[in-house]
Amino acid sequence: MLLPGRGKAGKRPVRDLVFIAFLGLFFLGGFRKPFIFVLVYVYIDIVSPQRLTYYLLNSVPISMIAVGLCVAAWALVDDKRDTRVAPRQLLIALLLLYCWQTTRTADFPVEALDKWGWVWKALAFAAFLPLTLRTRLRIESLLLIMILSASSIIIVGGIKTIASGGGGYGSLNLMVDNNSGLYEGSTISTVAIAIIPLILWFTKHGTVFPPDWKVKGFCYALVFSCLLIPVGTSTRTGLLCIGLVAVLMLRDVKRKFLYLGLLGVMGLAAVPLLPSAFTERMSTIKTYKADESASTRLAVWKWTWEYAKDHPFGGGFEMYRQNQIRYDTEKVEGTAANSTVEKTLTIDKARAFHSAYFEMLGEQGWPGLILWIAINLIGIVRMEVIRQRYRKASPDQAWVSPLAGALQAAHIVYLFGAAFIAIAFQPFIYMLIGAQIGLDTYLARKRSEASWRPIKRTRPTTPEPAA
Amino acid sequence: MIDNFALAVSHGLIMLAVWLLLRRPDLDREPGPKDHAPPGAGQGGEAPGA
Repeated sequence: MLLPGRGKAGKRPVRDLVFIAFLGLFFLGGFRKPFIFVLVYVYIDIVSPQRLTYYLLNSVPISMIAVGLCVAAWALVDDKRDTRVAPRQLLIALLLLYCWQTTRTADFPVEALDKWGWVWKALAFAAFLPLTLRTRLRIESLLLIMILSASSIIIVGGIKTIASGGGGYGSLNLMVDNNSGLYEGSTISTVAIAIIPLILWFTKHGTVFPPDWKVKGFCYALVFSCLLIPVGTSTRTGLLCIGLVAVLMLRDVKRKFLYLGLLGVMGLAAVPLLPSAFTERMSTIKTYKADESASTRLAVWKWTWEYAKDHPFGGGFEMYRQNQIRYDTEKVEGTAANSTVEKTLTIDKARAFHSAYFEMLGEQGWPGLILWIAINLIGIVRMEVIRQRYRKASPDQAWVSPLAGALQAAHIVYLFGAAFIAIAFQPFIYMLIGAQIGLDTYLARKRSEASWRPIKRTRPTTPEPAA
Repeated sequence: MIDNFALAVSHGLIMLAVWLLLRRPDLDREPGPKDHAPPGAGQGGEAPGA
């Protein structure tokens, strides 16, 4: 959805110069420590500074430069001893190849090529990223830069939600006119809620910014801002995600009753403060039958299901453009005892999927959907294995289990939100998956190192199986 | 105004994080058991920065 153009004039040249200086310094850091290039790419992919600026950066392919430098630095200088490739990296590479194939035979070749243009980058980077995550600090700094980059959008959204008293879907201005990537309302509200457990991890285990009162204060303020995003964008998915994240966090809270009590009090206190645009839209969760947006979804999903019966290998990217759907919206009037149901027939075409699962089914068919689900579910299972294995780890590994739990919670929230938003290829999530794989292979490497002992110490060792 | 504030905060923190990362040798290399085995050093090594 495009928003009406907003003023681009003003102090843009100053902002542009600041951005260029910032990026220049960021790139320079990469020449000192090559891993910084990975962080530069992550930053560019999330924030898209070329879209926030007016000139200069638009004409330079900074994203391509960053990714080229990442790969070159890894290939030329990075330590590659005991490099491990996880099965999920192979699955991602397989999905990439499969998508390439469906793009070649797509129902809409031109539009499919457009989407392929950014999807392949997200997948290729996700498969590459774990190779670079060789140390704890690298995993931490990747997550730190991801969160800080997303925070540039989240802080804007949070403050504007407070300032305007709630925006309403599509009207919260998140700096960029074109409603795409993380700047899209439903996407940012899902991502903002998903990263809350990760932000909270930094209040206990961060080492770049050791958690003192300033760091904790910033983290809590950022979490608050994250919670405001679904309010500002009035996205129902976001509200459901908040509920889910609250339940997931219950797993690791020590005083569960206190937590539940506090949650209840905060929830009750928040209701009167919520803007009416939000409460009105949220109340439609119950009366979804009268809601055109929800009815369209159900109709599109049905259409996609039928399409997949005839085309089990999918129709390629953007295949939803061929759909034509008819659906009834029901409106119940009157009292419960004496009500009339008014049905209105609505006809629509080229409606988007509004669900990552159906996006995969329609575009990539059953093989694509199965691969995608495998990549995601294995992530959740692997994080659970790590969470349990390191639960009672030594103090120097106390950070592992909570991080695996936070990555897993973020992933579960994403998979839930993805049921209502077509974000199967959201690059931010693929970076999270990359971080999960990186953590997994890092720990496997550590375990195999730990099973090695200097010869002079003759303690019996039992090597643990590496995952 | 709000945009610039949010951009300044997030970008300032990114810059600071990168500056701190440049001064951390454990970004590229963590001491493993093969690298050093000082007498008496056991499994429970210190966490970096802790």
